[in-house]
Amino acid sequence: MASSSTSSSGLTFKLHPLVIVNISDHYTRVKSQMQQPSSNSNSNSSSNSNSNSNDSVYGCVIGVQRGRTVEIFNSFELLYDESTHSLDRTFLEKKQELYKKVFPHFYILGWYSTGTDAHESDMLIHKALMDINESPVYVLLNPSINHAQKDLPVTIYESEMHVIDGNPQLIFVRSSYTIETVEAERISVDHVAHLKPSDGGSAATQLAAHLTGIHSAIKMLNSRIRVLHHYLLAMQKGDIPCENALLRQVSSLLRRLPAIESEKFQDDFLMEYNDTLLITYLAMFTNCSSTMNELVDKFNTAYDRHSRRGGRTAF
Amino acid sequence: MNSLEGVVVQIQGLSSSAGDISRLHVILKQAEESLRSESTRLSPILNQLDPSNHSLGYLYILEACTSAPVSKEQAAMLVPYIARFISYCAPEQIRLAPEKFIAVCKRFKDQVMLLGTPMRGVAPLQAAVRKLQNSSEHLTTLHPEFLLLCLLAKCYKTGLSILEEDIFEVDQPRDLFLYCYYGGMICIGQKHFRKALELLHNVVTAPMSSINAIAVEAYKKYILVSLIHNGQFSTSLPKYTSSAAQRNLKNHCQPYIELANSYSTGKIAELEQYVRTNGEKFESDNNLGLVKQAVSSMYKRNIQRLTQTYLTLSLQDIANTVQLNSPKEAEMHVLQMIQDGEIFATINQKDGMVRFLEDPEQYKSCEMIERIDSSIQRIMSLSRKLTTMEEQMSCDPQYLAKAGRERQRFDFDDFDTVPQKFNI
Repeated sequence: MASSSTSSSGLTFKLHPLVIVNISDHYTRVKSQMQQPSSNSNSNSSSNSNSNSNDSVYGCVIGVQRGRTVEIFNSFELLYDESTHSLDRTFLEKKQELYKKVFPHFYILGWYSTGTDAHESDMLIHKALMDINESPVYVLLNPSINHAQKDLPVTIYESEMHVIDGNPQLIFVRSSYTIETVEAERISVDHVAHLKPSDGGSAATQLAAHLTGIHSAIKMLNSRIRVLHHYLLAMQKGDIPCENALLRQVSSLLRRLPAIESEKFQDDFLMEYNDTLLITYLAMFTNCSSTMNELVDKFNTAYDRHSRRGGRTAF
Repeated sequence: MNSLEGVVVQIQGLSSSAGDISRLHVILKQAEESLRSESTRLSPILNQLDPSNHSLGYLYILEACTSAPVSKEQAAMLVPYIARFISYCAPEQIRLAPEKFIAVCKRFKDQVMLLGTPMRGVAPLQAAVRKLQNSSEHLTTLHPEFLLLCLLAKCYKTGLSILEEDIFEVDQPRDLFLYCYYGGMICIGQKHFRKALELLHNVVTAPMSSINAIAVEAYKKYILVSLIHNGQFSTSLPKYTSSAAQRNLKNHCQPYIELANSYSTGKIAELEQYVRTNGEKFESDNNLGLVKQAVSSMYKRNIQRLTQTYLTLSLQDIANTVQLNSPKEAEMHVLQMIQDGEIFATINQKDGMVRFLEDPEQYKSCEMIERIDSSIQRIMSLSRKLTTMEEQMSCDPQYLAKAGRERQRFDFDDFDTVPQKFNI
């Protein structure tokens, strides 16, 4: 059984967004290409069966290990062989050779899969990889969408030898990781996050996208502040014991605020606010005018007794 | 007499619930003829009925009472009855018989005018309008009657309160014409020239199959108000004007159009000359006062034109350019315009210089935000209404018939099976 204890190996893991996007893309593609829904559709229950459900996808992660830092840069897909409960070895080696030619520094660091939790069966795959890398990592992506969850549904597991009931056993332990980005990755992630329309060049869509981004940012800020506010109110009422460290942090945050109270800020802020309002007004005006124009045209066509017989002239 | 007693008993008995009232309505409709034949003896009956509970019955009897032409004494007696009825009646009951209610109110108005005291009719008619309306956007036949009384009684402010509302639903086209025309006159009386222009514009551009006298009169006033308010007038009417109006209006208003042309030259002497020579024409239309206002607005126009050329100007120069008699008069005019908000300037009294300034509105204040916000809300609701109207128009069979016909004539290159005419 996968344990939820944290790793003690002291390795720091750095995960690049490309890996996360790759895994999620792999999963999405496989899921959408399946013609029939899988027979065991409730695959989210942590079953002890050895055969993994059809919904999981598998692959390898590659990257660089420098000292105590493990940086996972890229990943590629692999086929899972049901009969041998292992990944396709020949394919893996072929892919490894190809990647070596392009990225000489990258090594196979481990493998990835999708699902809710690490299973016993995963250990088999894990052990199989141990001859390539003596301590592989297991990256697990949880594909179920949970709106309440704020963190990334990605967990990194390491294997450690623990003594359980007198038997030394390899078990999975969770490790913490950070997300590391290169400039190019940041731009592309930004792009994907905002889902800009394909002709994102026109000013209207850019303005709309810009305002949407600001709106969601402010909404999140608002909800966070509300949480803090509730917390402070509860503390005041005495429902929750006072936590001085937190109070100090809150007060330092508040002391930073008056910096934006100056009159110049008010002026600029109000002017920009008015500009945005005027743009909205103008847009509504244009909308109304065009509707009105259509209406008048239709009315004239329908009811004017001596309407122009013009229309299109003959070519 | 028996039938009359019977009717009274019915009214008193059946006025409690909605079901009863509809039955009563049927009974009253049947009894209408007999009521009308006994019109002279109906007045004492009214004392037996309560206007607020028995509104429908009271209405029928009142209508039968007033159906015959009345003399002055009878009018003097009936007027307080009707006024009392209007203020106490129940709106749900009278809405069942709107034509009767309108007829009663119209006769009330005639009687009040016969007595020569239009003021007495203003408040009751205002109440009547409110009770007859389905919503504040509904224009009833009583609206123009009410405005007419306001005009005759010279209480313009009461009329203005009705004019504030936007109209979306109209019962009869003639109502709209009269309402906008009288409304325009009331606004002119209150010097709200912008609103007057809007209302008169509505009359002139309203759909009409043939030219009517109200539109002609309105067009004359429209020209004059446009000169007073905007300083200019263009003879081209917008494209939503009916073709009848576009072709015929100008022919009936020739002297006014020439007045507008002479106004646009900017020379006051010529304008005054023209007014003097054609005075009787304007007088006969009752527009002479308005024409005089237009002439005096010429000075304002000229001063406004100066703001575009000069940054500072002495009062003497202003007087000379605008053809005023003295710098004192120029100062009065400029002061008045600054107070009305038509120009932005400061007068330096020591050396008699006027400095013209820019509009000081920086659009930085919270009040501006509220103004823009409320305008946006208004225009959003208007946009919704327009979209529904446009959809309705697209489904209109007349429109579809004409659109289908036009299309078939010119589409040589698509051979889909569009029928020649939409037979709906």
